[in-house]
Amino acid sequence: MSSLFLIGDSDKKSSKSDGSNIQNSTFSKLLNFAPPFCISFHQFEVMAEPAYTVASDSETTGEEKSSSAFPEIAIGIDIGTSQCSVAIWNGSQVELLRNTRNQKLMRSYVTFKDEIPSGGVSYQLSHEHEMLSGAAIFNMKRLIGRVDTDPVVHASKSLPFLVQTLDIGVRPFIAALVNNIWRSTTPEEVLAIYLVELRVMAESRLKRPIRNVVLSIPVSFSRFQLTRIERACAMAGLHVLRLMPEPTAVALLYAQQQQQLIHDNMGSGSEKIALIFNMGAGYCDVAVTATAGGVSHIKALTGSTIGGEDFLQNMMRHLLPDYDNLFSSRGVNEIKSMGLLRVATQDAIHKLSFEESVQIDVDLGNGSRICRKVNREEFEEVNQKIFEKCESLVIQCLLDAKVQADDLTDVMVVGGCSYIPKLRNLVKSICKRELYKGMNPFEAAVSGTALEGAVASGISDPFGNLDLLTIQATPLGIGIRANGNSFVPIIPRNTTMPARKELVFTTVRDNQTEVLIVVYEGEALKAEENHLLGYFKITGLPPAPKGVPEINVCMDIDASNVLRVLAGVVLPGSQQPVVPVMEVRMPTVDDGHGWCAEALHRAYGSNLDLVTVQKK
Amino acid sequence: MVNSTIMASASAAMPSLASPSAHFMGSKVSIKHPASLPTRVHLRQLRISAACSSTAERPVSHLARPSSLYEVLGIPTGATYGEIKAAYRRLARVLHPDVSANGRKEAAGNEFIKVHEAYSTLSDPEKRADYDRTLLFRPTRSFSLSVEPMTGSTSSGFSGYTKRTWETDQCW
Repeated sequence: MSSLFLIGDSDKKSSKSDGSNIQNSTFSKLLNFAPPFCISFHQFEVMAEPAYTVASDSETTGEEKSSSAFPEIAIGIDIGTSQCSVAIWNGSQVELLRNTRNQKLMRSYVTFKDEIPSGGVSYQLSHEHEMLSGAAIFNMKRLIGRVDTDPVVHASKSLPFLVQTLDIGVRPFIAALVNNIWRSTTPEEVLAIYLVELRVMAESRLKRPIRNVVLSIPVSFSRFQLTRIERACAMAGLHVLRLMPEPTAVALLYAQQQQQLIHDNMGSGSEKIALIFNMGAGYCDVAVTATAGGVSHIKALTGSTIGGEDFLQNMMRHLLPDYDNLFSSRGVNEIKSMGLLRVATQDAIHKLSFEESVQIDVDLGNGSRICRKVNREEFEEVNQKIFEKCESLVIQCLLDAKVQADDLTDVMVVGGCSYIPKLRNLVKSICKRELYKGMNPFEAAVSGTALEGAVASGISDPFGNLDLLTIQATPLGIGIRANGNSFVPIIPRNTTMPARKELVFTTVRDNQTEVLIVVYEGEALKAEENHLLGYFKITGLPPAPKGVPEINVCMDIDASNVLRVLAGVVLPGSQQPVVPVMEVRMPTVDDGHGWCAEALHRAYGSNLDLVTVQKK
Repeated sequence: MVNSTIMASASAAMPSLASPSAHFMGSKVSIKHPASLPTRVHLRQLRISAACSSTAERPVSHLARPSSLYEVLGIPTGATYGEIKAAYRRLARVLHPDVSANGRKEAAGNEFIKVHEAYSTLSDPEKRADYDRTLLFRPTRSFSLSVEPMTGSTSSGFSGYTKRTWETDQCW
């Protein structure tokens, strides 16, 4: 039934879009890379694959070719959960690009209302409520690369479009409501449509084709999520030069500002240690950087999926305790009421940053009306857990960086939540510092990506303004499953990149001829609570008593953040490997990685286990 | 102790099988000296800082086999914490793959990893004390005098960073 419907639907839509793409330049650009959007994502990916430039396979070669011939300055993009911006090094400074409506910050959404999907770069909402009509998909940064068992996906079910989960570890089903039809899409597709708009906007501003980009990403993104971002970029015809954790982009801007001060003879050249707290609508990240002479050395990174969206959802449930019940059916009317409440609550939260209390008066259209005063204390109490989490991220980051609050030179609070008084105060009180005033909190991250874009494109500046370097650190540990069901990190969190580390493991039973290497990323002690990156088997081990074969697992991350896992086996006394060494570029998992881990476990149990070689 | 030697032997064996693409740590700048010694002896460092500024600017790659972590960073054994840091940053500016020329990024990455390992050992007072103890028992040549003269061939590989005007004379 559903396949019949989809085929019919796609035929109809594609014939129509042939005519309409002439009128709309954005969409015609998009059509070069992708077929019409109305077909199911299976078809979408299979059919469109050859037309894409798959960034992940040509990354290094592409970069080296383009930068050696004639340097094209890469643009920096900050894809926020709620807002996006684009910036470029214009030859003397960073400049944010404006869209045709003269906006530097553009709402992150794509609406499927018309035949042609359009995003917040080009499209003018007639009213905020239009975004909440069910036809628009937003918060894609919260959804991309997550499986349907993820609590963040479950929390997204209260958004006014369809997020359906089966709770088995596969990609959630996402759809926009168009003419009372749920039209399916994927976070990658939504992001790609949006990125095409950004690209078209930048191309028209800069009057040249744009290919290379540096994007900022949340610290807590897994490598699997990074591949999804790269995929969306490839779908949009963009080549990713670098994915930069957001606070490290801010750190680079800070490093440049400090250099500038020295050039102007206003600063000292001594090392400065800064803490960056970055909280937007979707994510909260913290970094500690040590900066001197334009080199930003990232000491530690912490991050979590908490943000303005959580403040908003907590407040909506606080104002309307029956929220989940009322909106569970998700008809057109429910979505409308939900949207009304969302706008009113969002408005109130913004005002509470500057006022002690605010009056909310909203008619939900379904017979209920919320009319009451909310004060700042109430907001802080409702969101107490989020503030506590923020505190713990800052404290953890200082601890990981081995830095005391007294060592800090500067403290920055940036991102969409940076005007919330409670947040500013908690950062100030932990760091015992007033906040740094030298940067625009909404533009800091995108400015940093633009600087990195220029540096990574090989651009130099006669005044030394681009003599910058970021020494990055790994935001999450990477290791394998061993010692039963434990996660054994091989490259720990906050390891300086590029990095290469190895550990030796051995067999758990006599005459074990095969071992299974399952690679995870994360911090949890139990293997399966981390992000699965991939797995492979080493076969053909010669019969030997348990504990004798030495299985060396080496992990290598290069400066472009490409991870390779190598594994080889030697027997004591021999200098030669007994089987060819395995080299695997990770992540190798595609969708359904929740399933994979379970299936692996079910199929192999503990038969192909490994243990670490114990230090006695 | 027994198994840590097994580990060392294994990792020494691995390069032979993976070295064509230089994936494994080839040379043993490895910091796998015994992790915990029963008693920690903190050697008081002598402060010899005079030679630092002249040696640190030089790329280390020409030292085919640096005999100590101090040589990797191009600093005297008595270098202060500040000098270690400064040397690390100076080397990062020329060796980090992000600033090195295309075509030698992998080699630069390997060199940077060695420099970073040297830095992370020497910048940690406990690790440095442990490391210095191992140096005492090694028949090593005294550092700064034994550095071979720079050969012309090595500097050519670094053409990529010359366009950058790092301010190397800043005080740190």
